[in-house]
Amino acid sequence: MQERRDTSFPQINQDLLRGVIKTPIWFWLVLGALGMVVLGGAGAMGYLFYVGLGLTGLNWPVMWGAFITTFVFWVGISHAGVMLSAILRLTHAEWRRPATRAAEVLTVFSLATAALFPIIHVGRPWRALYWIFPYDFARGIWPNIRSPLIWDPAAIFTYLTGSSLFVYIALLPDLAAARDHTTGWRHTLYSVISLGFRGTARQWRLQVMGGILLSALILPVFVSVHSIVSWDFGMTMAVSGWHVTIFAPYFVIGAVHSGVAAVVTLLALMRWVFGWQDYIRREHFDALGRLMLVVSTAWLYFFFMEFLFALYSGESAEIALREMQVFTPPWSYFFITFLLTAYFIPVPLWLFRGVRRSVPLMFLTSLSVNIGMWLERFLIFVPGLARKQVFTFDWYTYRPSAVEITIIAASFAVVALGVLLFSKFFPLVPIYDVKEGEVFSTRIEVGRRKVPAVVREE
Amino acid sequence: MASSQEVTRHLLGGGRGRSPSFWLLVGVLTVLFGAGVVGLIIRLQGGFHERSVWGYYAATVAYLLTITQGAPLVAVALRLTKADWRRPVTRAAELFTVVGVLNFFLFLPLLALVPSAQGRSTVWLQWPWGAPHVWDTLAWALLVLCGLALLYTSVLPDVAAARDGATGFRQRVSAWLASHWQGTERQWRVQRGGLVLLGVFYLMLFVLVHTLFSSDFAMSIVPGWKDAIFPPFHALSGLQSAVAVTVVAMYLWRRAEGQPYLGRDQFWALSKVLFALSLLWFYFWFAQFLTMWYGRLPIEQTLLQLLMVGPYRVPFVLAFSLNFLVPFFILLWNPARKSILGPTLAATSILVGTLFDRIRIYVSAYSVEESAAHILEQVPATRLPDGVDILMVVGLVAGAVLFYVLAARLIPPIAIWEVKEGLYLRVERLFLRKGVSVVGKPE
Repeated sequence: MQERRDTSFPQINQDLLRGVIKTPIWFWLVLGALGMVVLGGAGAMGYLFYVGLGLTGLNWPVMWGAFITTFVFWVGISHAGVMLSAILRLTHAEWRRPATRAAEVLTVFSLATAALFPIIHVGRPWRALYWIFPYDFARGIWPNIRSPLIWDPAAIFTYLTGSSLFVYIALLPDLAAARDHTTGWRHTLYSVISLGFRGTARQWRLQVMGGILLSALILPVFVSVHSIVSWDFGMTMAVSGWHVTIFAPYFVIGAVHSGVAAVVTLLALMRWVFGWQDYIRREHFDALGRLMLVVSTAWLYFFFMEFLFALYSGESAEIALREMQVFTPPWSYFFITFLLTAYFIPVPLWLFRGVRRSVPLMFLTSLSVNIGMWLERFLIFVPGLARKQVFTFDWYTYRPSAVEITIIAASFAVVALGVLLFSKFFPLVPIYDVKEGEVFSTRIEVGRRKVPAVVREE
Repeated sequence: MASSQEVTRHLLGGGRGRSPSFWLLVGVLTVLFGAGVVGLIIRLQGGFHERSVWGYYAATVAYLLTITQGAPLVAVALRLTKADWRRPVTRAAELFTVVGVLNFFLFLPLLALVPSAQGRSTVWLQWPWGAPHVWDTLAWALLVLCGLALLYTSVLPDVAAARDGATGFRQRVSAWLASHWQGTERQWRVQRGGLVLLGVFYLMLFVLVHTLFSSDFAMSIVPGWKDAIFPPFHALSGLQSAVAVTVVAMYLWRRAEGQPYLGRDQFWALSKVLFALSLLWFYFWFAQFLTMWYGRLPIEQTLLQLLMVGPYRVPFVLAFSLNFLVPFFILLWNPARKSILGPTLAATSILVGTLFDRIRIYVSAYSVEESAAHILEQVPATRLPDGVDILMVVGLVAGAVLFYVLAARLIPPIAIWEVKEGLYLRVERLFLRKGVSVVGKPE
């Protein structure tokens, strides 16, 4: 990493714990604003539960709309954590260091938020508990273990547990640092949750091994989560455009595309808000931009395969559906916006080094990707359902209601609020990782030139 | 540590390829290749009216495409990711582009077996002209040309070194090939930029050719086979085999010449990539299988019969075991990953498994005679290889090895300039009480 500035360890502690130790006014203002949106969402949800799903725009045959789209969207965002943290850790990518914590935290909060949507979508969520407890064994009815109602929660909660452990293991040295820099109740809190971490050689070894093991173990879970979500659709024969063999990897690569973009958005915000220019540097955005170029182009290939093979067989229902998506308003407007924002505007821009190194442009283009990726999921789910029936009098056009829009907006506030509150108690950039990067960085002489160098990790 | 001059002298290899065993190997491979060409001529004399007899030939062409033409991507990917350990690996991988020339000519007879795109399901939909024959040929030719350009760009500094150090015929050829190369800063910049650009272009062409070949020469000739994941699976299998063939080539170079540059570092690092790609192989296969099996659609059940559990279940089980189970259980263990033999055994297993995988796909597809129907009504019986098929499979694979061995006779199988660059950019230092490697990152 060429642009590293030599910083002393006390300075790193001071800079990266600033958000934990001090509470500026903007924090309260943002907290209040986000809290208001979350309260609005909670109110809308309560109203929805009270009145019923009739308040939404859902109607037969479009029974899955914006809620399920947002569920898949947040599951997708949650893939950033493993993608950046586990894979880059295992491959010893030097530029990973400031991005891993933000990615992991984003995973946890977006996954928890995603898990809310199927519950909201049930309409009467307490009734969803009936299949778990109290269970009516007397009638000999058993839960269907092949049901998505079993596999989706199993996958999501396994991933959530793994990701939370992943965050915690990586957080231990920083919790110890926070313990040593705080007093009063905070000191007590950090003392308890840092589990007596003193930085002995054995503790470091265990912490590093734990991180590596979790990285390796969580990767299959990471792939399984979105695959299982995709098979909710892929195993459905009755809806045109859903029964596609490529859905699982297509969903996973799409999730990585949107997840990494979300991390870029978050890193740009962290750099501005906390003034971490020396830690989240332009070269990190450059590296993330290169990664996104590869991921997004792989995603485009999978999208193209999915679209091409819908037309391949010449089945009239498939062709009619694609015609509707591409040529019939309002779907066509969504489709064009989706393609432009998810790929054709940001990706050509990322080809230029100047764009990759510009924080505002990376912020805007990463936001653009996620607008596109939300629309992508919407276009997969809703048009197929709208034309599910053979007879035209059974067709229906879905439009999300104000209640749905309020709840969805609140979900963004929930994730933002979660990350903000996390930053109040824990450093969003891993202190020990940054220090390790400092220790490992050096210079070597090549001829008459001094070249930046790093100690090779084993 | 060897000096820069010693590296050049050693890798230009005064004794390379002059031993009797080398010429014996070349002789055996030439005879086998000749037998393969004879087999092909016999098959050509039989004409193209019966597609099923060409199944093993198509499988061999697909096999050579899969295992050799992805190998340059190993070099491309490692250069793009600036992996420090890549230096002795890249040339062994990119030399496989030479096999692409042979494979392109082997591909041409298959064109006569594929009907026009009109009136049947193909990826060309209603494309007006030349589909699939013209465009597939063009894509394949571009892949081969791009590969050769990539190889030339990579070997240029080494050829210049040979020009300055060799004598006789090699000196004259090297002087002609590298007449303009003086190693100026601008030339190095252009060479590096060229490697990146050609590498990215090669990657795109590689995916395109796999997509077109797998869909036009397998999927679309089986009525009702609509499978969006099959082309990506085919390309992924190409990447897995590319790493495998590179590992095996490295092992053989190490055994044959005692290369000190190909060490545990390289095998260990590639074993991790191989492990990840083997897991992905399973994931892609599973996504295909599960979606088809769960749907219970009659056509998909018939396709599963054709491709996996019916007449070709033996090659399928072998492919599944050798492409996934064997490498998985070998590479799961860190001591095996860290050794030289472990990754080599896993890689060999993958190379054999890929041959069975291509047989179960292409022989089964070519045994379906009617491609204009909408649905596959009946699964054809197993087609076992006859003598001509065996001649072609063995001979053409031997031909590919022959091309590679001869190319490595002319071109240093380890990139001298990259190894020398590594000498400058890597130093051993004491870190506290431990010796560590420090790697320079000039870019």
